[in-house]
Amino acid sequence: MIDIEELSFQWQPQQSKPTLAIPRLQIAKGEHIFLHGPSGCGKSTLLSLLAGINRPTTGKLSIFGCELNKLSNSKRDAFRADHIGYIFQNFNLLPYLSPIDNVTLGCQFSKQRQQKALTCSPSLPLEAARLLNALGLDNQFHQQNVANLSIGQQQRVAAARAFIGAPELIIADEPTSALDTNNRQSFIALLFAQAQAVNSTLVFVSHDESLQPLFNRSIDLVALQEQI
Amino acid sequence: MILIKLALRSLYNRRASAFLTLFTIAISVMLLLSIERVRVDAKTSFSNTISGTDLIVGARTGDIQLLLSSVFRIGHANNSVSWSSYEYIKHQRGVKWTIPMSLGDSHKGQAVLGTSADYFKHYKFAKKQPLSFRDGHAFNHLNEVVLGAQVAQKLGYKLGDSIIISHGMGNTSFHHHDDNPFTVVGILNATGTPVDKTLHIPLAAIELIHGGTGGHAEHEHEHEHEHEHEQHSDLIGEPKQITAFLIGFDSPLYTLQVRRNINQFKAEALLAIMPGVTLRELWEMLTIIEKILLLFSMVVVLVSLLGMLTTLLASLNQRRRELAILRSVGARPWHLFTLISMESLLTTFLGCLLGCGLFYILMSLAAGYLQAHAGITITIAMLSSYELMLIGAIMAAGFIVGLIPATRAYFYSLSDGMSIKI
Repeated sequence: MIDIEELSFQWQPQQSKPTLAIPRLQIAKGEHIFLHGPSGCGKSTLLSLLAGINRPTTGKLSIFGCELNKLSNSKRDAFRADHIGYIFQNFNLLPYLSPIDNVTLGCQFSKQRQQKALTCSPSLPLEAARLLNALGLDNQFHQQNVANLSIGQQQRVAAARAFIGAPELIIADEPTSALDTNNRQSFIALLFAQAQAVNSTLVFVSHDESLQPLFNRSIDLVALQEQI
Repeated sequence: MILIKLALRSLYNRRASAFLTLFTIAISVMLLLSIERVRVDAKTSFSNTISGTDLIVGARTGDIQLLLSSVFRIGHANNSVSWSSYEYIKHQRGVKWTIPMSLGDSHKGQAVLGTSADYFKHYKFAKKQPLSFRDGHAFNHLNEVVLGAQVAQKLGYKLGDSIIISHGMGNTSFHHHDDNPFTVVGILNATGTPVDKTLHIPLAAIELIHGGTGGHAEHEHEHEHEHEHEQHSDLIGEPKQITAFLIGFDSPLYTLQVRRNINQFKAEALLAIMPGVTLRELWEMLTIIEKILLLFSMVVVLVSLLGMLTTLLASLNQRRRELAILRSVGARPWHLFTLISMESLLTTFLGCLLGCGLFYILMSLAAGYLQAHAGITITIAMLSSYELMLIGAIMAAGFIVGLIPATRAYFYSLSDGMSIKI
């Protein structure tokens, strides 16, 4: 599903060495990938490429047949809105929206995801509530001020936002780094369950290699780049 | 739609600072509108003070000084016009009517005007409106007085009251004439001009309270006002001098000719002014103040908009994470640009709305005061096209100011992408 060939990226054209250089990477649909590597190895850069924020300097990057390297900026924004759910490390939520509104925000910029969400529930807030419950956040928290939620609860809201409208690719950028070990494991289990339910591909980035056994495949970004 | 909702929610979330920003804009809008409205209404009230009079004649002094003393009762005419000159000019060709005026006395701080009964017939204000009586009628006897609306209201006089008129200006006059009480026989309707603050008595009575001849009644004369011949039937008498007089012509064509003749009058140094022209000159003198006021209120508007800019820019850095989150769900940079500029537009818009409300409240509160103390009639009407244009300009300025943080948000979202650098 994700197909990378001879990809390189550099922030400035005059840079001598590219920030990121991946000769080849393929990820199949429905795979749960653990992407790890030390700080500065290009994880964030790779994620920004996958999410379509930046465009590869050279090479090919296609996600289910769509060649992102050939799309314009606004097309890549639209592509992200339609096909990608993104979970940040922490502070994932807009402070002025309720948890429900934070979740429905995930499909506000995409007609396609709104329609998909509406096939599961009669309205977007109901779908948001369903996902929040599925991720273990009870109704009593759904209209609370997000500042009153714990980090773990906030991450569940963030995950629900990524999953609403069943995007094909979920990118999680160290979503568990602020959680303790128990919470971490249960959160990842919930992520897997949801990803499986809608058959989404999950790319999970972390430098915490203890999580590696939970995934069916892990990629070391440093090793990946050394193949050149 | 989602952007408007987000902008509103985000503003509501920062409601304390947003309200302060909005409030400063509202205050500045209120100030600007009030100054503009008072300026326009002051100008109207001002040029409405006298109309229908072709010339004002007085002793030679400055044009504006003559206008101020004869129409506005401000200042004191030092010289006067001799009665013989008045009589001479009165009989010139084309003169339709004249109103002699004798000023300089007061009653409890209100000006006293000695004049003829023609005053109530020919004196006009605003758009050639004559004076009208709320109660009673014009004076027929020497010891009768007609009050301006405000005098009656302020001093609580009603028809039939007896009042004492003193010699000289000011509240505390040493020289009271207790032996000359006047009876209130008429109260005029309010005009919004200095007439409201004037007590009108017969010209002859002025001589009387000055302890003059006192024997007007014994004189024989052929004045047309002699209707019912009583002891004091002659209301004009034959004073030695008057302060000024007003002239109306059969045709305005006479005005310039007669004016020239009066200004070159050999027997006495006289000055004739056309009230409309001099009113305009006087207003011109005041435009500098008007412009300064307008400038000040514009500076206040500018400061309030800069305040908004500061608040938006200060909050923007803290909101980079928010921008990144919106980017992650598919918002494009121009969405974020729109979001931020919408927030400033909303703040300005609500500020203008609140400002208009405050403006109307202020105007309705101040209308009575301005009417009473400045003679300015405030019109509590819809916003004029010029005032709407001012609001439009503020909105436009608010929008343009908002483009600065919006542009920053745009570039933040491009450079940050979804990795938040704080």
